[in-house]
Amino acid sequence: MADINTSSSSAVAEAASFLTPLNILLIAILAISMYYRLKPQPTPTLPAPTAPTVFQTFTPPTLLPFDGRNNAPVYLAVRGRVFDVTPGKNFYGPNGPYANFAGRDASRGLASGSFDEDMLTKNLQGPLDTLTDLDDEQLEALRGWEERFSEKYLVVGKLVPVGSEEAQEAQKA
Amino acid sequence: MSNIVEQLDAKISAALSGWNFYTTVLALLVFAYIAYPIIFHDEPDTHPMLLARQASASPVRQPGESAVYRSLEVPHGYPLKTGLNVKEPDAPKWSGGRDGDLRDIWRQVARGAHSEQGGSNVPAGKILTVLGKEDVKDHDVGDVSREINIIGKHIRQHGVTRVAIYLPNSIEFLSTVFACAFYGLSPILIPYNQPSNVVLELLQKTSAECLVAAAGALPLADVGQRVSSLKEIVWVVEKSSRQMDWHQKPEGTGNRVGVSVWHDLVLDQKRTTSVELPTSEQGSKPANITTIWQKKQGAMGEVIEFTHQNMVAAIAAQISALPARQRMSPSDLFLPADAFTHTYVLTLTLAALFSHASVAITSVASPGVDLSLVTRNIAPTIIVASAETAASLHRATHPTATSGLKKFAYYTETKALAGGRMPTDTLLTRLNAPIRAAVGSTPGKLRLLFVSERVGAGSPPLTSEQLSDLRVFTGARVIYALTAAQVAGAVSQTSIFDYRREEGRSGTHSHFGVPLSSVEVKLVDTSTHRTTDKGNPEGEITVLGPAVAGGKAALGVTGTFRDDHTLAYV
Repeated sequence: MADINTSSSSAVAEAASFLTPLNILLIAILAISMYYRLKPQPTPTLPAPTAPTVFQTFTPPTLLPFDGRNNAPVYLAVRGRVFDVTPGKNFYGPNGPYANFAGRDASRGLASGSFDEDMLTKNLQGPLDTLTDLDDEQLEALRGWEERFSEKYLVVGKLVPVGSEEAQEAQKA
Repeated sequence: MSNIVEQLDAKISAALSGWNFYTTVLALLVFAYIAYPIIFHDEPDTHPMLLARQASASPVRQPGESAVYRSLEVPHGYPLKTGLNVKEPDAPKWSGGRDGDLRDIWRQVARGAHSEQGGSNVPAGKILTVLGKEDVKDHDVGDVSREINIIGKHIRQHGVTRVAIYLPNSIEFLSTVFACAFYGLSPILIPYNQPSNVVLELLQKTSAECLVAAAGALPLADVGQRVSSLKEIVWVVEKSSRQMDWHQKPEGTGNRVGVSVWHDLVLDQKRTTSVELPTSEQGSKPANITTIWQKKQGAMGEVIEFTHQNMVAAIAAQISALPARQRMSPSDLFLPADAFTHTYVLTLTLAALFSHASVAITSVASPGVDLSLVTRNIAPTIIVASAETAASLHRATHPTATSGLKKFAYYTETKALAGGRMPTDTLLTRLNAPIRAAVGSTPGKLRLLFVSERVGAGSPPLTSEQLSDLRVFTGARVIYALTAAQVAGAVSQTSIFDYRREEGRSGTHSHFGVPLSSVEVKLVDTSTHRTTDKGNPEGEITVLGPAVAGGKAALGVTGTFRDDHTLAYV
C-alpha cells in the first residue's frame, strides 16, 4: 500500500519537474520562434512606378502651357517631335538660359544657334515654321541637335498646326 | 540597494535551481531551432527583388494602348534579338555575326560531329531515336547529312517547291525540314494523327506539291484525287512494314503523281551522294515554313507562314532566355515530348541542336502524351511538354491520401520553394522523400521542364500551385510559356528561378512571365478592357517583333501586366 503511494507520488513528482517555470519559459520561447519562422511572409514588392506618359498630338497653343511653371513639365518641339526636357529644367525651364524654347517650336532657334525671341513663330494659330529658308550649315546643326535630343530626352508627342486633320482627329479621340 | 540586489539574486537562483534534464533538452532545442538557419544559411536562387519587377515598360504609351513591355535583355531604344549571331569558325572572337537560318543550325551539328576526329574543339551532341520500350538508336550525323542531301535532291528533281510533311516526330521529319532549308524548298508542317479528311483538306488548302508522309497514314487513292497540286509522294516506312510494296501509284491520277519510298531512295543513292551539304553560295535562299494552328484536335486549322528570320529570332531568344549556367549544353539530353509541328517545340529542339545538346526523338510525342511512358528507357535532363501532359502528370502524382510523413516532406519542399530555393537532395529528403513523379529511367536527372500554353486551343489551365507542385514532384525547374499561332516560339515565358506560389486562384492560369527577347508585347484597348493611368493595364495582347509572322499580331485574348510586369490572362 505504502509502496504504491510512493511510486505514484514519484510519478507525479516526475511530471511536475517537467513543468517547472524555467521549462515553461523555454517552451514559450520555442513556440514564439516557431510561430515567427513559419508565419507566411508577404512577398517583397517594389513601389509602383509612375504611369507612362501618353503620347499626345499638340498644336502650338496646347503646347504653350508646358513651360515648367507651376510644376508643369517642360516640353519643346523640334521638327514636329515634342521632347520632354524636364530633366534639363535648369536650362529650358523658367529663368533658364534657353527658357524661350519651353513650350514652343525650337527648330529655327536650334538651327541658327540663337535664343532670340524672333526665332520663334509669332502666330500660334498659323501654320508651323517650314524651315525652307535655312542653308545647309544650319540644317546640319539642326540635325545634330535633333540627334542629341533623341538620345537624351523622351519623345512624348508630335506638333501639328491648328486646324490640320491630325489635330482634329486628336481632339475627337 | 543591496537588499533589492540580494532579493533579485535569491529569486534568480531559486528559478535556476529548478534546472533539470528536461530543461537541458528544451534549451538545446531552442538553441538549435534559432541557430540552425543562421549556420546553414541557403541563399535563394535569385534575389526576390529581381522577381518583383521582371520586364521593363516603355516610358511613353500611345493613346488607346498600354506601354510596350520588353524583356530586360533588350532595353527600349535598342533592337530586338533578330538572329543567332552565326560566325565562321575562323572569324575573330568578337566580330559581329550574321543572323543565320536553319542551315547554320545543321552545320553546327555537323561541325560538332566532324570535330570528334580531331580539329577544333566543338563538342558533339548525339541524336537518338527512342523506339518503344527496348531500343534507343543512335544516329550518325554523317548519315543524316547524306539523307538530307538525298531527299533534297530527289524532291528538287521533280521541280516542286512546296513539301508537306505528315510525319510523327522522327529523324526523317528533321531531315526533311533541313533538306527544305538547304535546297530552297518550302516545308508545310501538318499535325500528325488527324482524321484523313482534315489532312487532305489542309493539303489542298496549302497547295502541297510533294508529300512526305508515314506509310499507310493516308489512303492513297484519296490523296491522289483530292489534292490536285500533288506531284510526288515519299513514303516513310517503319522497319516492320518494309517487306510490303509501297511503290503503287494512286489510281485515277495517271502519271501525275510519282511515288517513292524513303529507305529505298537512301539505299539506292547512298554511294553516290556525299556528306557535304550545299554551302550558302551554292544553295538557294531558304523558303518559308508553313505551320498549322488547330483550335481543337481533329478540326481544321489556321495556316501561318513563317520566314526563316522569324524562326531564327525565336531560337536565339530561347537560347538567351536562360541564364548562362542553366543553358542547354553538351551534357544535356533534350526530349521533345510534344509534336514538332508546334513551333515552340521545334524552336526548342533546334536550339538544343545548335547548343550541341543531345536530342532524343520519340514518335509517340503528341500534345496529350504520358511522360512516364515516354521516358521509360531514357533519362532526359530537359523536356518540353504541352499543358495537357503537365496537367495529367500532376493529376497522376498528386495523391488524395498520403501518409503524414510524405505530406510533411511535401510541405518542407514547398516551403523551400516559397523561400526561393530549389529543394535539393539532403539527408532528410533521402530519409523521407515526398511523392515523386516517375519521369526518366534514372530519377533525379531531369533539371528543366518547359510547359507550353496554347492561345485559343483549349489547353488546360495550370495554376501557380500546380506548377509549384510539379517542381516538387519532378525535382526540376518548370517554365510556363505562352505560345500563339502567329508567333514563332513563345510570346512570353516565366523566369527559370521564379518559384513563387500564389494561393487561392484555382482554375485560373498562372502568369506567363516576361516577353522573350525577340518580341515586345503591348495591350490594345478593347470595349471591355482598357488601360488607364491608374492600376494595371488591360487589353488585347498584341505582339510585335522579328519572331512574329507579318511583324505584328493581335492574339485575340485579353491580358494584363501585373505589378511585377509579368503577363497574365485577365
